[in-house]
Amino acid sequence: MVELRDVSWRVGAARIVQDVRLQFRSGKFNVILGPNGAGKSTLLKLATGLLAPSQGEVLYDGTPVQAIAPGALARRRAVLSQHVDMAFPLSVEDVVLMGRYPHYGRTPTVHDREVVERALALVDMTAQRAQLSPTLSGGEQQKAQLARVLAQIWNYDGSPEPRVLFLDEPTSSLDVHYQIHLLDLARDLLRHDCTVIAVLHDLNVALHYGDHFFVLEHGRLAHEAAGAADIPGALLERVFRVRAHRVSDPESGEGFWRFSRQG
Amino acid sequence: MLRRLSFAQFHALLAVLLLAALLASACIGAFMFTPGQVLHYLAQVITGPVPGGDALNRNVFLQLRLPRVLLAALSGAVLGVSGTLMQGLFRNPIVEPGLAGTSAGAAFGAALVFVLGEKTTLAFTAPLGTLAVPVLAFAGAFAATMLVYRVSSAFGKVNVFTLLLAGIAVNAVCNAGTGFLSYVARDPQARNITFWNLGTFTTADWRGVTLVGVIFVACLAWALRYGKALNALMLGEDEAAFLGINPARLILQLIILNTVMVAVDTAMVGVIAFVGLIIPHLLRMVRSSDYTFLLPASALLGALLMEVVDIVARLVIRPAELPIGIITAVIGAPIFLWILIREQRRSGAGLYG
Repeated sequence: MVELRDVSWRVGAARIVQDVRLQFRSGKFNVILGPNGAGKSTLLKLATGLLAPSQGEVLYDGTPVQAIAPGALARRRAVLSQHVDMAFPLSVEDVVLMGRYPHYGRTPTVHDREVVERALALVDMTAQRAQLSPTLSGGEQQKAQLARVLAQIWNYDGSPEPRVLFLDEPTSSLDVHYQIHLLDLARDLLRHDCTVIAVLHDLNVALHYGDHFFVLEHGRLAHEAAGAADIPGALLERVFRVRAHRVSDPESGEGFWRFSRQG
Repeated sequence: MLRRLSFAQFHALLAVLLLAALLASACIGAFMFTPGQVLHYLAQVITGPVPGGDALNRNVFLQLRLPRVLLAALSGAVLGVSGTLMQGLFRNPIVEPGLAGTSAGAAFGAALVFVLGEKTTLAFTAPLGTLAVPVLAFAGAFAATMLVYRVSSAFGKVNVFTLLLAGIAVNAVCNAGTGFLSYVARDPQARNITFWNLGTFTTADWRGVTLVGVIFVACLAWALRYGKALNALMLGEDEAAFLGINPARLILQLIILNTVMVAVDTAMVGVIAFVGLIIPHLLRMVRSSDYTFLLPASALLGALLMEVVDIVARLVIRPAELPIGIITAVIGAPIFLWILIREQRRSGAGLYG
């Protein structure tokens, strides 16, 4: 379980994250919502252990994240970023194998190779395995990175240790098809003892995929909701400075929001 | 075709070519030996000298030719590995010890000992004895590289323009320092500095070979452990951290490791530009950017290339010889320009700008 206990983060005089106390729900799709500059990405970096809080602490099953050895932490949690810029060309397969780096020493084991294979298959990239990164489309590059991240916290064999996947606006460069593919895969992880913690930009996508929501405003936790239905329209209107209409799909009956400019 | 070779096969191929180049280099020079003689003399190193009329030739070979052949190979290997490490560290294909100030810093540190060491007694160099040159070369190289890295990598991302400019500035300062020292130096020292600024293997002796050899083997063994970490660093510092690597520590370790190798080698043979630049680039082109492949391969190809260059240096204006740095610059600079143009075309917006 990942928990933030009164976490603050400052750069100089600017307070980016202030006294945030929250518990991400294990085995759920947690979503951090908030307008630009609310501190979402910083909060995510704090939760991954990349940044050390100025105050407070981040706990993984009760242990401060800074006290966990980097290798052990890497086997427990992985992070898919918005966009990864490779400095040099590598094949898709080599990129995915990087996800296994925390698991092996000099040479990958048979199991590591097998995980790479299955991760490639999960993201439909087996055919492009030998292709070099710069020759891939944006969507394919992101799929290769997703496969890398899946291989890193591979839990499809039912190991007893829970894993955490962080997503930092992973779909912002993807078209609708890839967005759905990626988020479906992330949801699928929940069935394999994995927790997902995501920052998502598209509110309707976030509300559709998320189970548990944390709304940030000016670096503070403004609202927490267990389910999309528990997020009041008035809150969205205030935090995002828009007008929000709840509309429901005539076929499925599922609700979604339509946003328009305020005033 | 080369792409189909496994990494191990590729390394073996380079090793075979290197052995051939070493043998050729042992034979060719102002004084020619036959391969038979070379093998005969080498056998005598193990079995002990065979008494006979060949003693003079044998001494020329063992005391002059052989150390030179080995020092050239070691220097090439050092520069090749250094280029690979630095390009990995800066996440950029145009970095090499000559560009990032490492070599110039080492040269300045070493020149300081050459010149001032004779004029005044530098109190702090006295306890270092004969190691004063490599130690001061290290200090100069480390300061220069750290400065260039710090300036160019603000906010966790290396900016290529800042990198080039910082490299130019730091190189200028170091070269000015070395230039000033050669200006105030007496004639033989000044000539040494000038020649040595262009790289030379003429002064090769067993002491130099041993020192560079020990340092290189130790550094290579250490460097080979960073293959995975350097690959991870390709994704950026944050992504590497997510994979369980401590980027700040990795970068410091790489800079120290690289600087030790380059400084000791530069103290012995001088500044040889462009080898570190082109070796990793060639290997990336023909096989792979994977650092677990590049690190051993760049040592082998670096040694191989340097051996060939040294043969050329000894032959072109026989019986005199050309400074190594002149040849590497003539070959390397056009390749450097070609890389720049290629990268510019590929990324459209310029080099990883």
